[in-house]
Amino acid sequence: MDLSKLSPKQLLEIDACTRCGECLRFCPIYSQKGEEGINPRGKIQVMKKFIRGQYGLWAKLFGPKKLSEEDVKKFSEMVYHCTLCGECGLQCPVSIDSRSLWLGLKEVLVDLGHYPKNIGLMKNNVLSRYNISGEDNDLRVEWLEAMEGLPDHKYQKERAEVVYFIGCVAAYFPMAHKIPQSFVKILDRTGVDFTLLGGAEWCCGFPLIGGGFRKETQELIRHNIEGVKAKGAHSIIFSCPSCYHTWHENYHTDLKLFDSTQFILNLIREGKIQFEEKKIRVTYHDPCDLGRASGIYEAPRTILRSMPGVEFIELANHGERCKCCGGGGLLEMVDPELSAALAREKIKEIQATGAELVITSCQQCVRTILSTARRMKIPLKISYITEFVLKHMR
Amino acid sequence: MDKHTIFYAMFIPSMLLFFLGMWFRLSLYLRGTLEGAEEATQWEKLRILLSRGWRGFWKRPDWYIRILIMDVIFHRKLFGQSLYRWLAHTLLVFGFVATFIVDMIKGFTTGYLVEWSHSVPFFSFAHAFEKGGIRPFLDFFLEFFSFLILVGCVLAMIRRFFIRPDQLRTEEEDIVTLFFILYLVLSGFLIEGYRIAHPEVVANRVYMANFTPQSANNWVSFFGYFLSLFMKGITINPHFLWYAHVIPCLVWFVYIPHSKLLHIFTSSVTVIADRAKQKPHKRDR
Repeated sequence: MDLSKLSPKQLLEIDACTRCGECLRFCPIYSQKGEEGINPRGKIQVMKKFIRGQYGLWAKLFGPKKLSEEDVKKFSEMVYHCTLCGECGLQCPVSIDSRSLWLGLKEVLVDLGHYPKNIGLMKNNVLSRYNISGEDNDLRVEWLEAMEGLPDHKYQKERAEVVYFIGCVAAYFPMAHKIPQSFVKILDRTGVDFTLLGGAEWCCGFPLIGGGFRKETQELIRHNIEGVKAKGAHSIIFSCPSCYHTWHENYHTDLKLFDSTQFILNLIREGKIQFEEKKIRVTYHDPCDLGRASGIYEAPRTILRSMPGVEFIELANHGERCKCCGGGGLLEMVDPELSAALAREKIKEIQATGAELVITSCQQCVRTILSTARRMKIPLKISYITEFVLKHMR
Repeated sequence: MDKHTIFYAMFIPSMLLFFLGMWFRLSLYLRGTLEGAEEATQWEKLRILLSRGWRGFWKRPDWYIRILIMDVIFHRKLFGQSLYRWLAHTLLVFGFVATFIVDMIKGFTTGYLVEWSHSVPFFSFAHAFEKGGIRPFLDFFLEFFSFLILVGCVLAMIRRFFIRPDQLRTEEEDIVTLFFILYLVLSGFLIEGYRIAHPEVVANRVYMANFTPQSANNWVSFFGYFLSLFMKGITINPHFLWYAHVIPCLVWFVYIPHSKLLHIFTSSVTVIADRAKQKPHKRDR
């Protein structure tokens, strides 16, 4: 086992876990499965056992213990059964940065060749076609075809001040097409000098990092930064929180990064967006990658509160405590049933608020919640925040 | 051989083993890759990390000290999660830290400064720490802080073995750790009780120097005094009692790097590192 996949801090964190179990109460996977082997504490303990067997005092004296295929396979299942929601780290009394640690453990597992088959297929798609769906990357802006009144440049200008980075899910999944469609309309109507990268936009690398292939993201990062710079842009806007988070954490760039909610809020403050009064009762779901991972909680709430006629109700678990919808951490690829079970919990929580509509700022959350609600034949209405803003704009 | 010599003969190798164990753990962590220094050797990584820590500390020393006190020793986060756990943990941590500090003051003043005062008159103030007015207070605080450890340990045991919250999973290591602490504290108090119950032990200087006036034992060594009430009729070899306390204490030190107790150091690092990093929520404001 190659420990160089982890940082010194992460190796120290494995020893810092006191097995207090505080994380268990908040782990969405544990709440569904109830298995010790699949919760944050269990993962750390197994890794600790592996390290001791390979590098401990006993191993120094008598040689390292061989890792059994069975044990590593089981460990791989534990590590990949995670939404990367990061709530365990937030609640950890000794503040272990668990989200980063889980990503590090995935890198260790990739190095050992133990990762789910679907993750491998996704990796091949991203590295060969530059998107998660494996389709032609020029189809990334196919959703534009359904829009009326497109300008000649089809929002793909030679140069612009701002680049709108769409992200793979919004680009390739029809259920999420309304997100970029509504956002480009907002940008257009408010006179923002923006452009899309079109087929030159490559996957941000988040799925690779989430799958344990961090090293493979370098080419994607370099290409995307060059693409944005070639447009002469100084800022990038994201409607995908995972792309936003990945750029923040892994792209070392001087470009200004905005989540769509932050950008819309600025437009509201500048008086470029004004709303009509429409009475509606809504609630808001904090996406893990926008909330806990990126710390953006207030921007979407301020937008909703600034809309006349909108009655905003918080979910029982909101903000830092917001529960994952089940769509995070590639869980859907590994265990779709478990992902749907988490979505069902989320739907129950939404229904309990009595809201007519749930709003969120993540295309993956929209997709996960909506598809589960449809399967359950629940008439749940969900809207991405840009769609909601556009509908209410004067 | 006097107890000082015997103590140091055991203490020095124990400390060596402790530091060896700590280095063993540290060298394991240094196998990890340091961002921006991917090709660095273990020693280079150590140098980089120490220099980052040193520079970081001196940028805002007051902030780091505040975090050490509030978030590490007094574990502010745990306070928000469970008052019971916080109390048990804080009594243990604060008890150990405070006992260590008072013991260091006591050892340094009576062991070194008093000795040096014979040649450097400036240090003659140290006599107040040995036989003067400060001594009873030093002894009292040592007793009091050790008592806090005992209370913290008992609270932790009640939670683990009787309250048994669902989230808790007790393993061998947890049992060993808690009983080890309980044994160390209780054996210390038992020696004290025996010394108070048997004045000849002090007169014969069986233990290291003790200058607490007999009349002050009831408040200076309040728990030892309480135990002494039950020990008057009991005769045990006082040397055996001493070894039965000191040897496990030293074994405990050697055991730290290889046990759950290592989190005393590791979780201090994780907490400080967490507070020091820029929190994402700042982006929102």
